[in-house]
Amino acid sequence: MSETTPFVALSGISKAFSSVKVLKDVSFDVRAGEIHALLGENGAGKSTLIKILSGLYTPDAGTVVIDGKEMKFASTRDATAAGIATVYQELLLFPELSVAENVFLGNYPRTASGIIDWAEVRRRTRDLLDSLETYDLDVDTKVLSLSVAQRQRVEIAKALSKNARVLIMDEPTASLVDSDVQQLMTVIRQLRDRGVGIVYVSHRMSEIFALADRVTVLRDGAFVATEDIGAVDEARLVSLMVGRPIESLFPKAEVPIGETVLEVRNLNRGRQVRDISFALRKGEILGVAGLVGSGRTELALALFGMTPATSGEIRIDGKPVSIRSPLQARDLGIAYVPEDRGLQGLVKPMAIRKNVTMATLEEVSSGIFIKARAEASRALAAVRRLAIRCRDIDQPVGELSGGNQQKVVIAKWLETAPRVLILDEPTRGVDVGAKSEIHAIMGELVAQGVAILMISSELPEVVGMSDRVLVMSGGSVTEVLDRADATPERLGAAMTAYVDTPSVAGAW
Amino acid sequence: MTLRSLIRHETLLALLLVLALVVLSFQSDRFFTVANLLNQGRLMTETGLIAIAMTFIIATGGIDLSVGSILGLAAIMTGVFWHNLGLPLPVAALAAIAVGTLAGLGNGLIITRFRVPPLIATLATLALYRGLAEGISQARSVRGYPDWFYVLGQGEVLGVPTQLWVLLTVAVIASIVLAYTRWGRTVYAIGSNEVAARFSGLSVEKTKLLLYTASGFTSALAAVIFVSRVSTTRSDMGTGIELDAITAVVLGGASIFGGRGTVLGTVIGLCLIQALKNGLSLAGVTGDGTIMLIGAVLILAILASNLFERSGTR
Amino acid sequence: MAMTGVELPPVRPRTSARPSTLRRLMADYGQEIVVFAAILALFVVVTMVNPRFISANNLTSIFSGNAYIAVAAIGMSMVIVTGNIDVSVGALIGVLATISGTLAVAGYPVWVAWFVPVLVGMAINGVIGILVAYGRIPSIVVTLGALSILRGGLISITGGTWISNLPPEFLIAQKRFFDIPFPLIAMVVLTLLAALWMRYFPYGRSLYALGGNPEAAVASGIPAERRVVAVFVIHGFFAGLATILFATQLQVIQSTVPSNLELTIITASVIGGVSIMGGSGTVIGSTLAAILFATIGSALIFVNVSAYWLRAVIGLLILATVLADMLRRGRA
Repeated sequence: MSETTPFVALSGISKAFSSVKVLKDVSFDVRAGEIHALLGENGAGKSTLIKILSGLYTPDAGTVVIDGKEMKFASTRDATAAGIATVYQELLLFPELSVAENVFLGNYPRTASGIIDWAEVRRRTRDLLDSLETYDLDVDTKVLSLSVAQRQRVEIAKALSKNARVLIMDEPTASLVDSDVQQLMTVIRQLRDRGVGIVYVSHRMSEIFALADRVTVLRDGAFVATEDIGAVDEARLVSLMVGRPIESLFPKAEVPIGETVLEVRNLNRGRQVRDISFALRKGEILGVAGLVGSGRTELALALFGMTPATSGEIRIDGKPVSIRSPLQARDLGIAYVPEDRGLQGLVKPMAIRKNVTMATLEEVSSGIFIKARAEASRALAAVRRLAIRCRDIDQPVGELSGGNQQKVVIAKWLETAPRVLILDEPTRGVDVGAKSEIHAIMGELVAQGVAILMISSELPEVVGMSDRVLVMSGGSVTEVLDRADATPERLGAAMTAYVDTPSVAGAW
Repeated sequence: MTLRSLIRHETLLALLLVLALVVLSFQSDRFFTVANLLNQGRLMTETGLIAIAMTFIIATGGIDLSVGSILGLAAIMTGVFWHNLGLPLPVAALAAIAVGTLAGLGNGLIITRFRVPPLIATLATLALYRGLAEGISQARSVRGYPDWFYVLGQGEVLGVPTQLWVLLTVAVIASIVLAYTRWGRTVYAIGSNEVAARFSGLSVEKTKLLLYTASGFTSALAAVIFVSRVSTTRSDMGTGIELDAITAVVLGGASIFGGRGTVLGTVIGLCLIQALKNGLSLAGVTGDGTIMLIGAVLILAILASNLFERSGTR
Repeated sequence: MAMTGVELPPVRPRTSARPSTLRRLMADYGQEIVVFAAILALFVVVTMVNPRFISANNLTSIFSGNAYIAVAAIGMSMVIVTGNIDVSVGALIGVLATISGTLAVAGYPVWVAWFVPVLVGMAINGVIGILVAYGRIPSIVVTLGALSILRGGLISITGGTWISNLPPEFLIAQKRFFDIPFPLIAMVVLTLLAALWMRYFPYGRSLYALGGNPEAAVASGIPAERRVVAVFVIHGFFAGLATILFATQLQVIQSTVPSNLELTIITASVIGGVSIMGGSGTVIGSTLAAILFATIGSALIFVNVSAYWLRAVIGLLILATVLADMLRRGRA
């Protein structure tokens, strides 16, 4: 099916950013008509590698050979001209412009007189979207009114419009409904059969095994292995990624579960939080599973007072409370470790000590004055307790690794002595070592009687860590499962269940 | 944002100031006299008060372009309250300050309640408040204030101009608040990452509201001092003062993007600008040449600040 | 099309109706339509109060008097679309007008007197653009500084004296072609050309991209820094053209510029639908808004309200437009 001479060959690629070596002598090739998966932990260098391939970065060393010719890309334009198209995870679209224009920006079909042929732009966009089975998306809509999944489609259409020979897809299914994932995979296979080479960057093993012909593993910026997909299994891939055999990642010990500390009844907010009811008990970890757009984070934000509920009841220790601000939530003993730690969890230019105390400033102050010594001792204690690897407590948190940054956010909220800790994707973008440390911390907390609400998109983590699993779809709770019943099939079914009207289902 | 890097910028600036003072004192023997220096202190108070409030605002990543218009409005209202409505002068002055404070509150509400970016909001209120000043005064000026009123703007206490005491007091309080209190920490957090500040439970909206209201307050206070100093009120007072204030703040080490800046830096920057103005006028350069220079200084100051930032001296 | 030869899944019939062309026009050009409606409404209302409002003289004054503002607003709109701003353009026009008048009085051919200032405007704004794009200084700050430099420079150069004795052939703004005042022709032609350029030429479209999502624009291969410099130069070009209309209106050129000219120009853009956040809006809107201002200004006079309230009205209008924009974007 695929020839063995690669269309794209990267060899000896090295890249450093201000003395931090991100890629060391990496080789990677893509054949025409193959799907080549690229696997690696966060920080392994996948993102940098594909940015070099797409012309966004230039390598410090090494060669890029396209179709037998060595190329030096000065810009993304060069790469596009050479037939390389990329669909990034952070969608690079223009919210105020139409779908059609987003697809053809910089690449407009022209009339005979040289001006933009808008009719043709719209016609071709329509055809591209139809080929992706996206019939209901009007090409004149402004992108800002589209859902995440719809925007994804626009990105893919954009890549297709450039007649790519190699299509790089960076975590393309992170925001898609299962049916969309299936359709996307069909399209990807079609492209491969046409002779396009696909670089598929993903964490999702099931997709990799379903789609890929070959898989390359990177670790810590270095090349580890390239294998035919038939020659490996999941455990082998994981150990290649991590460099060590994996013991159980999820050491959820048995912990006595106490009385109900948080009770939610008929909570509502807009279309994302619909009539939610559940109870959370001391010492319990309640996992919250669901696809992107199912309303999990919105539920958390309602409980945290960031976007308060419009109706319904919340009870702490049996007493009804009103939570209309994060400050109120904190005072009631609710803490929220946000999904996007860079944007929502940390002030990156500020020192660790200042981030750790940011939610509890009154406790390290006398009156309005901050007491430096009190702050320092708190910060030091937190660093020790959570094993945060840093130079000192005055180091800006922006300089820490993902896992350590996440620990700082957790430390900040632990300072508030929460009774209910809401964790939103606590180990996303965190290396495996720190991941198990965070899980261990969670174990300690529940042993002390804290109740944890854990939102996670990683089903193994949800199943491994939770006592019970709350499954959400389209803003409603579709199932509450005990751990023993939380099989992938039941979870999957609950995550894609339709509630109420069909317009609620899925992402769009 | 370590103590080390902070000190570095202010130290450089202070050295620059000393250098400027030395040069200027050689250039004209009228410069380095106590009388002249104190007089310069008197002249820079109005800008100084506004610049101090502006430091907080710029540290949150915002900006207030309407300060000059609020000054003008408050100046006019002083005249209106005293001359047209016959209120006793102290009451009139206080009422005018209240008006300015409300104007600042207006800015704050537009920015926090309606989420209009500070640049546009204060650009609009720059027009609105100046327009109100012009409309209310119909471009007539008010004169003839009682003599005792001029103590504030033209008098002295213990040999130092009255308003300079005011400036000193405000500067000391402000710098303590910014550097050592929770409010100050909140200000820097908002400037560095407003979303994270919100998620940490900090009262972002209240803080911003307070800051823009304070800016209105200082502008109005400056207006009263200004009126007292020049013995008249006119609707075009304060035009362009925002430029001086922003230049002083940026010169003092604040990043226009927020997250950095100190009152001490602003004050040193202020002194530097005033020294420049004084030096130029002693050398015979007219007022317009001076504003040309201030404009150039602003651009150069930010260029330098950007270069510093890039080289990692943060 | 790229997908030939592969069996595509069967085409499903459309389940949602496409919005009609009219609704699409409303969504894309809503603000422009609102401004146009406001102009009409004002005309109707004021004429009922004072029928002399629609006299030929007054109409000329309304549609031509602010032509220079509309032309300057074309360049300003482009700058704002890229996500920048320029608060120095008023002072720039003052400087350019002085240069223009000086050249005319000194006996140079009118072409020189008209177009040398255009080149100067492009150069000055080019420097500003370089400071913004490569110096990474926010445009508000650079242009605040430039405002001072230009304003101070203007007063220093002119020393407060007005330029008079302008040669009659220089005063093109007072001329008519086919019995239509030249400024009106210039305004309409330039607006249409600019609007077409921004709609049908990739370079023009790239300005929207820069303002809408700078990161994505760079990723699409748009050379951001060069384009920002270019847009400031183009803005200087239009400022220069506006100067021609401005400087040739009267027999004299004043040594100062109408106060807050830059604010009026910015406001014309904003109220015309150019979002101050960048990425959207058209020059047709800004021209219509400039006409609206002239209409309001004239209306105030005809209903006997003091002209000193004009600035307050403009301030209120900006606020209202911006608030509406915020609401539309779902932020407020």
